Amino acid sequence: MTEETPMGLEANREALYALMLEAEREKALAMLLDHARRHGFQSAVSEVLEPVLERAGEAWLRENLSLAQGYVAGKIAEDLLVAAAEIGGDLKLDVKGPVVIGNVEDDYHSLGRKMVAVFLRAAGWKVIDLGNDVAPSQFVDAAVEHGARVIGASAMMLTTAENVRHLRTEIDARGMGGRVQLAVGGAVFKLRPDLMQEVGGDGTASSAIQAPELFERLWAQSLEAEGA
Amino acid sequence: MTGMERVLCALRGEPADRRAFTLALSLYGSRLSGCPTREYYSEPVRYLEGQREVVRLMDPDIVFAPFALPFEALAYGGEGIWLDRFPPNVRKPPFREHGQVRPLGDDLLRSPGVAYLIESTRLLAEEFGPDKAVCAVVTAPVDLPAMLLGIETWLETLLFDHERAAHLMDLATEHFLRLTGACFAAGASFVAVPVMFANLRLVTPALLEKNILPELARAFGQAKGPLVYHHGGNRILDHLGLYSNLPGVAGFLFDPRDDLAHARETLGLGRLMLGNVNGPGLARMQPGDAYASVSAILANRAGDRNFVLASAHADIPFDTNPDTLLAVRRAVVDAGAVA
Repeated sequence: MTEETPMGLEANREALYALMLEAEREKALAMLLDHARRHGFQSAVSEVLEPVLERAGEAWLRENLSLAQGYVAGKIAEDLLVAAAEIGGDLKLDVKGPVVIGNVEDDYHSLGRKMVAVFLRAAGWKVIDLGNDVAPSQFVDAAVEHGARVIGASAMMLTTAENVRHLRTEIDARGMGGRVQLAVGGAVFKLRPDLMQEVGGDGTASSAIQAPELFERLWAQSLEAEGA
Repeated sequence: MTGMERVLCALRGEPADRRAFTLALSLYGSRLSGCPTREYYSEPVRYLEGQREVVRLMDPDIVFAPFALPFEALAYGGEGIWLDRFPPNVRKPPFREHGQVRPLGDDLLRSPGVAYLIESTRLLAEEFGPDKAVCAVVTAPVDLPAMLLGIETWLETLLFDHERAAHLMDLATEHFLRLTGACFAAGASFVAVPVMFANLRLVTPALLEKNILPELARAFGQAKGPLVYHHGGNRILDHLGLYSNLPGVAGFLFDPRDDLAHARETLGLGRLMLGNVNGPGLARMQPGDAYASVSAILANRAGDRNFVLASAHADIPFDTNPDTLLAVRRAVVDAGAVA
């Protein structure tokens, strides 16, 4: 494997970002696989994909990126991870975490959660995805079983976001507050910024693309809370 | 002047004795009448009783038929969620696969939830029709597939399977025309259409221009009465120019973050604009803050005859202080006549 020149890397990032904006998923994957063939999957992820996702996250914050474009970014990342797993190689997966995620009880809006899972995995996190309609005890049982320090709970609407309170209660009732940090997300949390604290969350992010940064912060808070 | 006359003045750009106004107090009627929400959203007569209380408290110029879009998805199957103090919702989308979605034809109008929407509209029009505008609310044809299949599946289809997307939008347009037709036949003065998937915060520019706007134009152009383009929870100002010539659209309801002065520049004089009180935000506002906020909007539009003060986003929350709502009305009255 050879090392890409800084100019070559920058050109690849620009090309990938443009393909993502135009929802050219197959072309984006082909470009990344070509890079991976020459420079390795780790380089494709950390030197091309991650900077592009970071740029996409910044664009999202400025409201210059659509949900569809964010979704395509997630699909491109997912396609690359699948290809890396099939082909094998140098990509370091599951080096952080584990963390547990799911949609809270009665919530079936899985899009955001699935995107969070993809972006976390691309950033090296081991993700235990419990799916939709997850009871508070299931979240906490999974966190205990896997030794997760962060639970990510997704809810799209106010009615289901209220169920995050029950998860907060369950974490606290088992004496795990502080060690287990509660990340919350979903459209309603963006619409009502106070809601995260109201329902007992420890942190939130404005989009799935920002999830890795949030989980890093909460993981560090968990370690701090334990005095580790 | 009656409420209807004020609304017509705003539509035609004529002076009025005061600014026409409305708040989406569909749900709030259940609080005012003390009717449990499940009964309120099942029995058109209970809905009418709630709206009588809304009129008694606020006397708005426009009354709302039930703001309960999930009934449209429930007509196709699936399970509703009924919670106190909230409108009904859909537990999960009725379909998992595109192939399962079939047009309902007239069965749409016979499904319990949709029949309730239409009968409630009829009762409102019968009681308030001559004096007040009656607004029905219907899902946009580009959004219905998201309710039927889930946002993820619809997004995936829009992006990567244009043939299936076109087929689903055909079905959704038929649904839209059937339902809006029934609302107009029941006496709705206009239909507000919250539109989410025609926004650059959700879709790509290429999808919007090549796939979505042509479908909206086709659907709106065949509607049997005037439509109000509702911002659907996102800002619309920055691409308002793309929508401004859609057929059948009598007015635009703006997001609270949209700048109304810029919106007027984009639309030009003579087009109806509505907005842009943060409806759900009123639940967290003291009456004085609501008065100041609404007064600022009214001052911004002081010389604009084609403007109706209206709440944006979804329904006013159940737990909103009635004094906050009355402060909105007071601000409208204190602003005086539209010269």
